[in-house]
Amino acid sequence: MRFQDIIMALDRFWADRGCTIVPPHDTEVGAGTFYPTTFFGALGADPWRVAGIAPSRRPADGRYGDNPYRFQYFYQYQVVIKPSPGDIQETYLQSLYHLGIDPGAHDIRFVEDNWESPTLGAWGLGWEVWMDGMEITQFTYFQQVAGIDCRPVSVELTYGLERLAMYLQGAKHAFDVEVAPGVAMGDLRRDFERQHCAYNFEHADPDLQRLLFDRFEVETERLLALELVHPAYEFALRCSHAFNLLDARGVLSHTERQGYIQRVRRLTEASAAAYLAGRASDAARAA
Amino acid sequence: MATLLFELGAEELPSWYVQQGSEALADLLTTRLTTAGVEHGALRIFATPRRLAVTLQGVAATSARRSVTRRGPAERAAYGADGAPTRALLGFASSSGVDVGDLVIDDRGKGRYVYATTEVGGDATADLLVDLLASLVVDLPAPRKMRWGDVDTPFIRPVAWLVALLDDEVIPVEVAGVRAGRATRGHRFLHPGEIELDHADAYEGALRDASVVADRSDRRRLVTDAARAAAASEGLELVSDPALEDEVCDLLEMPVAVLGSFGDGFLDLPDDVLSTVMVHHQRFFPTRGADGRLAPRFVALSNNRVPDDTVVRGGYEQVLGGRLDDARFFWDADRTESLSRHAWSLSGIAFQKELGSMGDKVARIGTAARHLADVLGVSHDEAAILKAALPIFRADLATKMVNELPELEGTMGRAYALAEGQSAEVASALEDGVLPRAHGGRLATTRVGAILAVADRLDTLVGFFAIGRRPTGSADPYGLRRAAVGVARTAAAQGWRVPFKKLVDAAVAGYDGSDLVDRDVGAEVEAFVWDRVAALLAEERVPTSVVRAAVDGSRSIVGAARRAHLLEALMAREGFGDLMALYKRAANLGRQASERASVRSSHFRDDAEAPLFAALPDARRGVERLMAGIRKQLVPWDLGRRPERPLGDLDAAIAEVLHLKAPLDAFLDGVHVMVDDEDLRNNRLALLAEVAQVLRDLGALEHLGAREAKEAVA
Repeated sequence: MRFQDIIMALDRFWADRGCTIVPPHDTEVGAGTFYPTTFFGALGADPWRVAGIAPSRRPADGRYGDNPYRFQYFYQYQVVIKPSPGDIQETYLQSLYHLGIDPGAHDIRFVEDNWESPTLGAWGLGWEVWMDGMEITQFTYFQQVAGIDCRPVSVELTYGLERLAMYLQGAKHAFDVEVAPGVAMGDLRRDFERQHCAYNFEHADPDLQRLLFDRFEVETERLLALELVHPAYEFALRCSHAFNLLDARGVLSHTERQGYIQRVRRLTEASAAAYLAGRASDAARAA
Repeated sequence: MATLLFELGAEELPSWYVQQGSEALADLLTTRLTTAGVEHGALRIFATPRRLAVTLQGVAATSARRSVTRRGPAERAAYGADGAPTRALLGFASSSGVDVGDLVIDDRGKGRYVYATTEVGGDATADLLVDLLASLVVDLPAPRKMRWGDVDTPFIRPVAWLVALLDDEVIPVEVAGVRAGRATRGHRFLHPGEIELDHADAYEGALRDASVVADRSDRRRLVTDAARAAAASEGLELVSDPALEDEVCDLLEMPVAVLGSFGDGFLDLPDDVLSTVMVHHQRFFPTRGADGRLAPRFVALSNNRVPDDTVVRGGYEQVLGGRLDDARFFWDADRTESLSRHAWSLSGIAFQKELGSMGDKVARIGTAARHLADVLGVSHDEAAILKAALPIFRADLATKMVNELPELEGTMGRAYALAEGQSAEVASALEDGVLPRAHGGRLATTRVGAILAVADRLDTLVGFFAIGRRPTGSADPYGLRRAAVGVARTAAAQGWRVPFKKLVDAAVAGYDGSDLVDRDVGAEVEAFVWDRVAALLAEERVPTSVVRAAVDGSRSIVGAARRAHLLEALMAREGFGDLMALYKRAANLGRQASERASVRSSHFRDDAEAPLFAALPDARRGVERLMAGIRKQLVPWDLGRRPERPLGDLDAAIAEVLHLKAPLDAFLDGVHVMVDDEDLRNNRLALLAEVAQVLRDLGALEHLGAREAKEAVA
């Protein structure tokens, strides 16, 4: 199965199970969890079902394209369902079947893996899913987001698309994965990866990123005061990305690093609080 | 008499919880049944990643009839000045279901209280079980519970199904959003779907038919056997690893071994690197060839029996190959620089803001280790090993390999040291210095390694205590309890007989020239480590009072450990507890003796004085022989793991000590000590002080008494 067919198959599968397929968000994020559709979707009591491909950036994880598994830019496939259904594990296994993986012919395991994001004030419990020894999916029941208890609880499935495709195609490197007929992942991403790694590790201007962080932080707060929650949250995401770039450049001391994490967390928590307050007043108006 | 089956089906449990959770479930069930007065027989425990279950045979149909007595308010709070019952008493009577007139006032050793006695029991067990079984799910202890969906009862992973059968009857338990029935589930892939059980007794067999080995010890044995057989099929030997066997056992319901291979070219990586990648990252078992070296083969335990395992094996091999590629890259890259060069980079790695970098820490460890070597005494060779090891100790922390595979810290220190031509002794000391890695983990075996390990951990304790980061409650974010346990276990296993205080002083010396550490810090660290010593001895099931006597009466950790086992053995002897009770009286009186007073037989007046005095030399010799005996018999061991061999061959010495009992008893019983005549009084006090002093070598005996003796015997 080609890479694009995997994405389309997952879209079809989850759409058929009541999920809205949402297109990728256009602000840089470290993982699908940062997507507004996940972050805000996990808050509050209303049912929520979304799925879709979630391109993500983690500047420090890049290896100039040399390592077959590690990249600063990669694709996750993200599913968020609230409340988590009782048969979600079975449904997930069916989605593998839908990709041409017969769980009965493999060794598939749910191995404890607990997740925490200090910048989102979020944590959850769950598993990494192993197929024949390879981690292909993260499976998390959100317990808290932005320091707020999740009730009801959302379940988040994050497929590692490159790994899944490598496995399905027997490719030794993510760049060898065939995306479309005659088009390899490397054709699309090799130069992109190498140049971004050079930028992230060697040429990103730390002074600019520090300045941007400070300005974005002020902007987040200004927008929150105006109750413009969505633009505010995007500026919090931009802060997070500026911090990730500083981290990749290796210019942060341990203490400084903790300081930046706390600052991002304060912004995401304030965004979540404003979001919930806005929903509550909407509800009051409606009533 | 019926058989009870209770099965809690869950989405995959964390592997470390499978056994622990099933045992906790069994404990809770039997405790609550006993409390409810339901008699029961043989218990069996079942545990897999998807289920915790118990079967209990011989469950009585009804709870036993019995009377239960509750204590109510104190008498003075029960009736007002006018003699009328107070509100407290009325409340107690009504909550007990007893008329005020039927309440009884009694003194049962705690003062005068109101008691209510009621007849209970005779309830149908099937009815009792409805709430009782539900309460197990709610109350089952687990370190970190979670919620799911819109269910309000937290558990360690979502509860998927429940089976509750009393013989063939379903107990309608409802909890955590699930209603119990008679349907269990088989293996997730080999036997999907539900299995109806017609009787509780059918449980294990039905699961076996559905490809689930529910008995954990059976499954554990299958894991080992299957893995060994797979290795043997190519004439290889499985590298035994009980911890991995445990983990693997709790990651599957039906073990199927798969033998896979990796490229021969990886064999020039150190064995430890290969093993770590296989064991820690993939849960694969390494194998050895006839030459004792690792073979390019591994055994994986699959949870699925497939007609053709080519695909599964290919998957394992591809993932392992990728990881070994990474490891090879790190191994080559790290060796382009020497360990002493890597050691420079430690100053760029933070330890703790107020305590500086890892470079600063390693410098302090050097000072502390040299002091320790002086205090403990080391050979010329050991001093040379220490000198060579110190500049590169923990330098591997700065390497790419350890950055990527942190569990290889120390191991890489050794491997890189050997690769750059350091001696085997220096290399081993570098690895030993990071041990133990975890609670109960392997300890340093070399003396120099033990010195490094203790210096490092004491430096951490002194530093964190100095900046006020002591652990509070159960929170211990800096791992200080673990560090203290490491110190205690290492010092005990090394048999270091120097006072523990001197070891702490050595670590404090590492902070010379800094104004962080004041005088009290050393004493606080000492007390903190002694607490861990006491906890480790408690893990060896030594009674609390004996532990306190041993710890308070010892200056070295190994001394405390040996005394604990000696005193435990003594307290089990007829008469020793009584002697301890007498000791307590003698020591209390003897404390009033002036320090310089000595016993003079010319001042004896009472018939009971001379025999006691005459018994002292034998007793002293007995105590000395006991102390020498435990030093000989109790070879230093890893604290927390009770020495297997019971103490033997101390009878003669014990008899000598016990000979003191009769004359001491007669003395304390018959002689009036505090007489007006100052000379006689001082002489009697001095005699008692000497008795106390002779016995006190055995430990801080004031913690022991006749009551503990009976407990120890029981």
